Amino acid sequence: MKNLKLEFFKCRRRGVLPVCLGLLAAQFVWMGVFLAREESPAPDGWKLLLYNLPLVDAILLPLTAAVLASRSGETEHKGSALKLLETMATPGQLYAAKFFWGALVLAGVLLVRSAAFMLLGFELGYGQPPFLRWAAFTLLSWVVSLVLYALQQGLSLRFANQAPALIAGLSGSFLGLLSLLFPLGVQRCLPWGYYGLMLLVRMEWDPVTRATSFFWREPEALDLGLLCLWGGLFLLAGRALFVKKEV
Amino acid sequence: MTIIQTQELCKRYGTAMRVKELNLQVPEGSIYGFLGPNGAGKSTTLKMLLGLVRSTSGEIQLFGKQMGPRTRVEILRQVGSLIESPSYYGHLTGEENLRIVQTMRGAPAEQIDEVLQIVRLQDQKNKLAAHYSLGMKQRLGLAAALLGFPRLLILDEPTNGLDPAGIQEMRELIRSLPQRFGMTVVVSSHLLSEIDQMADTVGIIREGELVFQDTLAALHGRSRPHLALRTTDNAVARSLLEKQGLGCTEEEGHLILPLLPDHQVAALNCALAGQQLGILRLEERKKSLEDIFLELTGKAASL
Repeated sequence: MKNLKLEFFKCRRRGVLPVCLGLLAAQFVWMGVFLAREESPAPDGWKLLLYNLPLVDAILLPLTAAVLASRSGETEHKGSALKLLETMATPGQLYAAKFFWGALVLAGVLLVRSAAFMLLGFELGYGQPPFLRWAAFTLLSWVVSLVLYALQQGLSLRFANQAPALIAGLSGSFLGLLSLLFPLGVQRCLPWGYYGLMLLVRMEWDPVTRATSFFWREPEALDLGLLCLWGGLFLLAGRALFVKKEV
Repeated sequence: MTIIQTQELCKRYGTAMRVKELNLQVPEGSIYGFLGPNGAGKSTTLKMLLGLVRSTSGEIQLFGKQMGPRTRVEILRQVGSLIESPSYYGHLTGEENLRIVQTMRGAPAEQIDEVLQIVRLQDQKNKLAAHYSLGMKQRLGLAAALLGFPRLLILDEPTNGLDPAGIQEMRELIRSLPQRFGMTVVVSSHLLSEIDQMADTVGIIREGELVFQDTLAALHGRSRPHLALRTTDNAVARSLLEKQGLGCTEEEGHLILPLLPDHQVAALNCALAGQQLGILRLEERKKSLEDIFLELTGKAASL
């Protein structure tokens, strides 16, 4: 707990809040432009939102996870702080504190995001928000982002130069979007593609009537299992590399 | 009491043995000068003492306790360190940097002002550490090491990058620590003169091997004056000297004798002349500390 509190203290003046606000602003602009083209109020408004938001997540959240992990990891490399920290705490404790910090920041930003979009939907006349669906969506977005954050933290702490970690985040953001077009088997092999696999809404387009319909769906148990596997793999590999590294 | 003891400590990087069978013994309350040319293995050794680098073989005991992955952090609660360049967060102020160390060490918050005063940074405590000069960063590093007033302080080249006034100030501060706070200080340097002015116990490392370890007085003892004698036949002269009970060694064509009183030197002259031995040189010599360092390390006194 002490180390976790210190992570928040250390991230003062590191631009973490602007990064989070930037993500929220980008999602609002994106979705705002999209919703402005829809009928008002859009039929199946909530489904429309919960279908499109994960697609925006697939582009923006890998990048956000990369930037957050980089902001946190870079603080230790810049002033060679690990030489001092590791005389007061084990590398495993430091790694865990950083991971929990990232988890809490992502949780915070995603909760604010969900609340803001629920408010927006309500204002747009979508009616009472489906709270349980929103809770599930927030949780799933957080878990997928956390898996990616685990990967990014591993990279950011392993390499003093943050370029490899940021390139991985940028590529992930691109792959995340692209993977939505890939077959299911390929999509499952790309951790950035899980925003798509965790969708709570499916869309059907009728070529005869040219009408689009949305239906509620639940993520497959296999995908949930695979997501946890990816998370465990990234977390354990990143931690092992960090603990093994001599400073 | 021996506060640091290592047994056959080794560190190998690939095929290169960087530290070889090191047996360090640091007495409590001393200022232990760890001296050696650049690349001799000083930093690697100090990092091994702190568990930042894993030893290939050998054992480390701090305060009589065996260092291991499980005991390391607990033992290091009593150790402050400053290894190579100072550790700091550039985006935080000096005081905020110390707050992190104080929290992690569980030291009282009042100690922050106390250590800032000791290193004379109290007027700069609200400045971002990134805007500090190298000397100020070094002092901030020392302040962080002092937090909690540990029993043992490990400082790796603490005067690196400081100007002459800063070096002098740092030296005086280090010298005062055992008396003021009862600390034991291990300070490494590649400068003989620096260790000569600070330490009371010295360990000299060369290519990973400890070539000397004793008090500074013992090191100075090696520089005692002696006589160097060169004759037309050193072998005959040597046997004559030994018959008279004067032990000697031969170095670079000279017989090396202890310093003798004048009357004994005169008698020696007569005895040698009596044996038809020509005296080519008879001189009083004194090895400087630099000569001894050079002999021990095979390198110049400051590299």
